[in-house]
Amino acid sequence: MTVAETISEFIKEKFDIGDDPDFTNDVHLFNEGFVDSFGAVEIIHFVEETYGISITQKDITLFPMNTVNEIAAVVESKQ
Amino acid sequence: MDRLYTSAAELVDFAAQSYGEKIAFSDVYGEISFADLQTQSRKLATALMEKAETGRMMPVMVYLPKSIKSIVSFMGSMYAQSPFVPMDYAVPMARFISTAKNLCPTAVITDSEGKDRLKEAGIDVTILVYDELIARDADNIKIDRMLNTSTDLDSAYIMYTSGSTGTPKGVTISHRAVLDYAKWLSDTFEITPESIIGMQSAFHFDNCIFDMFATLLTGSKTVIIPEVLFMYPEKLFDFLSEEKISIIFWVPTVMISVANSGILTEKKLDDLKLILFAGEVMPIKQLNQWIESYPDATFVNMYGPTEATDIVLYYVIDRKFSTGETLPIGKPCANMKALILDEDKKLCPKGKQGELYIGGSGISMGYWNAPEITANAFVQNPLNTRYRDRLYRTGDLVYMAEDGNIMFLGRADSQIKLRGNRIELGDIEAAASAMDNIKNCCAMFSQKTEEIFLFLETDSEIVPRKFNMALKKTLPAYMIPQRLVTLNSFPHTPSGKIDRQTLKKQYMEEN
Repeated sequence: MTVAETISEFIKEKFDIGDDPDFTNDVHLFNEGFVDSFGAVEIIHFVEETYGISITQKDITLFPMNTVNEIAAVVESKQ
Repeated sequence: MDRLYTSAAELVDFAAQSYGEKIAFSDVYGEISFADLQTQSRKLATALMEKAETGRMMPVMVYLPKSIKSIVSFMGSMYAQSPFVPMDYAVPMARFISTAKNLCPTAVITDSEGKDRLKEAGIDVTILVYDELIARDADNIKIDRMLNTSTDLDSAYIMYTSGSTGTPKGVTISHRAVLDYAKWLSDTFEITPESIIGMQSAFHFDNCIFDMFATLLTGSKTVIIPEVLFMYPEKLFDFLSEEKISIIFWVPTVMISVANSGILTEKKLDDLKLILFAGEVMPIKQLNQWIESYPDATFVNMYGPTEATDIVLYYVIDRKFSTGETLPIGKPCANMKALILDEDKKLCPKGKQGELYIGGSGISMGYWNAPEITANAFVQNPLNTRYRDRLYRTGDLVYMAEDGNIMFLGRADSQIKLRGNRIELGDIEAAASAMDNIKNCCAMFSQKTEEIFLFLETDSEIVPRKFNMALKKTLPAYMIPQRLVTLNSFPHTPSGKIDRQTLKKQYMEEN
């Protein structure tokens, strides 16, 4: 599975999204109501543990991480 | 601050003269010194006066991301004699339009992205792009001449809050209110040029008045914390540590989420000395976790509606509180007073519950362009029959404890505080009832779970996420209900009203 696929699967399961056709790798997870603001931390923990990387405060401040693809891009830049 | 100032913009001149090249503010894009803040703000004021009619009745909307540019725009508007009006950069366009309709702004200062959004929405207002406003030199002679003609009872800023009928209310604050508040906070707290303030507040909330004016008066530095970091408490602490933050003034919700994340025991911020909070009730449990981690820091519980220039009462925490106890909201700031009145408008003795009325120089001039709701909320002091003595009726129920501290009990109406945001439930109902296929609706707040319940009377199938997305077109994100309950028909009381008690019992208490 690609990084994006792995993250997408995690989010779908963790936040009970099911097969909602509006959920794509480019949808804004927070603005579109798929994940609440508390869920953001869980997503970051998941990628940090799964990929053995550390997402710093600078990464969060400088790069948008609102969609599956955006999160995957940050992860891939750290691998 | 040793002479009589009549405009809050003069505090920028004071700061530039006193602290010069020292850094005043920083954000994710960079930093600005006190001297540069003065130069940029005066440039902006000059361009503003050329491109739009300015003056105390000519408000300037500032529609920019949370950044130094917002501060320059605020100060520049005040130099041009116009009150500034901070707008949430994420505000739904429908709400922007209803605000602009009430406000009749002389101009909007924004960036190119904001300009596109406003043009697309077809908003009929003069749009000025920030970068173009600071491209030319300042006309300092003109600005100084204008400053000399203004009085401290002119409007400094207008801040919009939730209104019960769905129309936001523009709280109008005078220069005197800002000047007195700034003086009080710099006299009361130990804030020095070495202090570094970690700013949490958005610019469209009144807590930002503290951060901005504390820095101007004391020469401290304010670091504008990127909003996204508040979603990640651990990363937020890394940021505070790297920036050497020594003072924070935050809403309790943020302090609670930090405490709940466990980071307080994992990471220590060596520079943190002063911790202030206001905006909602601070629970003792999380407060104690903070105090255990920072036993040498000063903790202050503060209270104040937007109508009182941010803060009117404060309590420096001077003893240990156990869970179940209530934290006092304290005693009035300088030049402010608090009265607790019963239903007959008589002063309540100590221990007796009443409604809190506040007076003093920090009280708002009223709601912008809304005389009726102003007359309702700003009333003659019933204890003074001799001259005009305005009080703001807060709608908050309180009592005075034996030691003179005021204790907060709750609201007298359906206004709520959620994550520091002030929300009129009627505002949500107005938005929901305007949607297709909704026959009736009613919004209620569960104190226990801290959730807004929205009950919808409808024959249609409602998909919660999609319904909330539609609500977001007219309501700010913080007003979106956490729970939706759909019913084919509402229960009614014998008098024909929605039976809120039954709804509450059936859906809010058992679930």
